[in-house]
Amino acid sequence: MQKKRVAAFMVMAVGMGLGGLVTLLLVLFVARAWWTTPFEVLGFGGAPTQPIAFPHTVHAGVDIILDADGNPKLDTSNQEMNGLGLGCTFCHRNVDKGAAASIPPVEQCIFCHKSIGTDLPEVAKLINAWDNKEAVVWERVHRLPDSVRFVHEPHIRFFTEPGNLMPSGEQATLAANVCSTCHGDVAQMEEVKQVRSLKMGDCVDCHRNYSAPTDCTTCHY
Amino acid sequence: MVNERVNHKWGMVVDIDRCTGCQACVVACQAENNIPLNTEAIFRQRRAIEWIHVERYWEGEFPDVKARFIPILCQHCENAPCEPVCPVYATYHNNQGMNVQVYNRCVGTRYCANNCSYQVRFFNYWEPVWPETLKNQLNPDVTVRSRGIMEKCSFDIQRLRKAEHVIEGQRGERITDENLREGNFLPACVQACPTTTLVFGDFNDPESQVSQMKEEHFVEGGRGYKLLEDLGTEPNVIYLKKVDIHAKTGVETHA
Repeated sequence: MQKKRVAAFMVMAVGMGLGGLVTLLLVLFVARAWWTTPFEVLGFGGAPTQPIAFPHTVHAGVDIILDADGNPKLDTSNQEMNGLGLGCTFCHRNVDKGAAASIPPVEQCIFCHKSIGTDLPEVAKLINAWDNKEAVVWERVHRLPDSVRFVHEPHIRFFTEPGNLMPSGEQATLAANVCSTCHGDVAQMEEVKQVRSLKMGDCVDCHRNYSAPTDCTTCHY
Repeated sequence: MVNERVNHKWGMVVDIDRCTGCQACVVACQAENNIPLNTEAIFRQRRAIEWIHVERYWEGEFPDVKARFIPILCQHCENAPCEPVCPVYATYHNNQGMNVQVYNRCVGTRYCANNCSYQVRFFNYWEPVWPETLKNQLNPDVTVRSRGIMEKCSFDIQRLRKAEHVIEGQRGERITDENLREGNFLPACVQACPTTTLVFGDFNDPESQVSQMKEEHFVEGGRGYKLLEDLGTEPNVIYLKKVDIHAKTGVETHA
């Protein structure tokens, strides 16, 4: 009788402990997602899987390109390859003109990729899309709530004006210098993911620092 | 530069003398602002959403009968009755003379609509639905309001924001009537009006047409008046009364 009671008590204690642990983890997860970006588990947070594994490191980065094992990749004449170092606005052309930064059309990729890297499997997917006149359906990385209207153009314009220093303390001379303020160092990202929380507090903090309007209808309409 | 922001006080003048009741403004607003489709059943329930609507009044007895039209939109009152009753500050007066509705704050108490003297606030009683063929006509610059949200005329603030970015920001010019019109930044109703009944502009700018019309008509004995002026709501929309040479004094009107 006594033994049975002890066993029941043990089971109960372990159960409550496990339940408490699960609850704690859940609270932690929700709290973290509430205040900043969520933990990168169960498909939350992190980089979404793109239809074509487009490496920003190769196109926008300038460092030596490494393969999966960490060895430098060699080109046809056995030379190490650097990233191209393209500016963000080379592809995201609308960023200093309108609301959306815009994803380049397949045609723009083909300008180079009709002759470059045509033997690579990921580029083959692109060429296939081009031949079939299909669009590449990229997964969106940065998504704001539906009630927010974010316009890239005035932000780029403000920071490229002389005298307006970016939060990093630098003066942006090109539109492409401004992007990393919110998007992080995309040139170093194999897969692009969101690095800033981009919650309303994040926006409003910056707007206050630069005495930009904080009227609700600046963004909500 | 942000520090050199120009203060605007947006407003409208509605010249009733020119209105033919064609409803072009109603349709333009519907298309521009992602307003849910108003079906016959919704009209029967008196829950139709029309940020601007044209009210029709019959005057006189048949056969000597006249139709009178008056477009009614949010009056953007300086002392708006809708504002103090909102428990969550979802509606307030912004620094541009506009009464604005913040959809993501709204919790749908409907106090504001009940306190509005002009019946120009509309509640989304249902989740808005569009047929598949109309999905691509939604305006990406305007939030699609979900069920339980109050909405009303915004003076097409999305276009005014764009005007500020393009005219003041990129070109560094002042916003005038001309460049508002040329850049298609005027509210959709004003743009669509074939008889220029609706005139939109900046009351802070003495050169603007609305300022001049206000000066010309809003005097003793002039045509200018404001709706339900004695309530003291101080609307930013001014009406100019109809000039009717056949008007008989003391004629009975039937609403």
